[in-house]
Amino acid sequence: MSALLSAPASETATVEPATVAARRRRGSGRWHRVGVRVLATAALLGLWQLLYSLRIWSPVLLPSPRAVWDALIRTSTTHDGTVGYQGHLLIEHLGISLQRIALGSVLGIAAGLAVGLLMGTLPWVRVVVEPWVTFVRALPPLAYFSLLIIWFGIDESPKVWLLAIAAMPPVAVATAAAVVGAPTALVEAARAMGARGWQVTTTVVLPAALPEIATGIRLAVGIAYSSLVAAETVNGMPGIGGMIRDAQTYLQSDVVILGLFAIGLSGLAIDGVLRAIERRLVPWRGRG
Amino acid sequence: MSSPLTGPPAGARAPAGGAPLSVRDVTHTYGRGATAVPALGPVSLEVPAGEFLVLVGPSGCGKSTLLRLIAGFEGPTGGQVRVGGEVPRPGRQAGVVFQQARLLPWRTVGGNVELALRLAGVPREQRAARVAELLDRVGLAGTAQRRTWEISGGQQQRVAIARALAGSTPLLLLDEPFAALDALTRERLQEDLRRVSAEAGTTSVFVTHSVDEAVFLATRVVVLTRSPGTVALDVPVDLPRSGLSPDELRGLPGYAALRAEIGAAVRSVAS
Repeated sequence: MSALLSAPASETATVEPATVAARRRRGSGRWHRVGVRVLATAALLGLWQLLYSLRIWSPVLLPSPRAVWDALIRTSTTHDGTVGYQGHLLIEHLGISLQRIALGSVLGIAAGLAVGLLMGTLPWVRVVVEPWVTFVRALPPLAYFSLLIIWFGIDESPKVWLLAIAAMPPVAVATAAAVVGAPTALVEAARAMGARGWQVTTTVVLPAALPEIATGIRLAVGIAYSSLVAAETVNGMPGIGGMIRDAQTYLQSDVVILGLFAIGLSGLAIDGVLRAIERRLVPWRGRG
Repeated sequence: MSSPLTGPPAGARAPAGGAPLSVRDVTHTYGRGATAVPALGPVSLEVPAGEFLVLVGPSGCGKSTLLRLIAGFEGPTGGQVRVGGEVPRPGRQAGVVFQQARLLPWRTVGGNVELALRLAGVPREQRAARVAELLDRVGLAGTAQRRTWEISGGQQQRVAIARALAGSTPLLLLDEPFAALDALTRERLQEDLRRVSAEAGTTSVFVTHSVDEAVFLATRVVVLTRSPGTVALDVPVDLPRSGLSPDELRGLPGYAALRAEIGAAVRSVAS
């Protein structure tokens, strides 16, 4: 078969050189960013050490970086027959918390996707459900935790429920907005190819919504993270939030700060992983 | 294997019998009551098989509206549109090329064409070969794995044409498909489209505001008046469909005469 339409050479000019240049630029930019961040962190640590050395506050209020480091070693090892912090190593506290966050986030995200999809496709569902989603979003997790305790006791389920409820709204809102705002030009193009009903949803609306859904998921995991300490208020040990609360009662500020670092750093790492997944899943983001 | 343009391959949805396109006393109004805006008509057109009809008119004259009615995206306020004797439904009787390529960015170049084949009911095991064949025909052989944002605007529009051809529909609708391209790319696509339609004899309706594009592509030109658009001029274009280079074609005395006649009509309806 002969080519009925032939692409002339100039039109086939590739975009390769530009892409390569951009990639190289991005590469050097990354090292530059890492350098700046390392320097900033070092400066912050220096300031911390300086404030400690000036003895403005007592070591109970502001422990030294060294004391926090020692707390890290102490909680990560067995010493004098004591295992880690209150019978569990730091990594175990963190691991259990991460499991709760994972389970809660997965449930919350799944519910948020379903609710958001219904809100986006059925206008009456949106009218009915939207104020309730906003209502739940406005509640501090600690407020409904009391009710969850009454309903589900003090074991794992109220903790997971709390994280799921906290994670649901951002996914629901993002999904609904993305489905409602599906690009009409692409929807029409799909209809012109013969897509109808659910075919339009699966071929255009959902893929087009993926970037916004991905953002909603990152927000949801972040909110689940920030609700962790609330979820581990009651019977939270083992658990990193429970560890922080327990250390607070004994004025062990070094362990509290260590716990904050553990939550913050693992949060950063997980957001990085989510962003990497997002880049793989939504490579067309911003390139319509 | 039969060509998707000349034979009825798998997945063809061509209805039997009836003129390819019939537009009778069609009017269209946007909005209702006091805020109603008459956009089109009344317009009547009979388009026989194999015709390449170009609609020309000033901005907002309703030519795109007419194309949307033919595509079946909307029903006319008055009158009737029939394609192959049936009320048009999107994706059934006509392939559509829009001003923007409207490719799905989450699919590769080949993936976009493959989706059109899937929606047209082409069995899975035939699709890969058809994708390659369609891309080959629009001059994009070997680009199936490319991302849609990696290719130029002209190439994107070629993919859009391949996608519109994929359904093997009896009618091809093009709504200012080259308006957003640079002059050089536009000329090449015009030449290629002219050759495709000449070789295959697809019935096409092409909307443009460029008089030269109209005379170059058409076997018949219809000029619409200002909104609400009605037919101001309806002329056949009797120029050879093959054997001449674009420059030779544009050099024919008949070409210049048609350009002048249609240009005058467009100017008079626009003023």
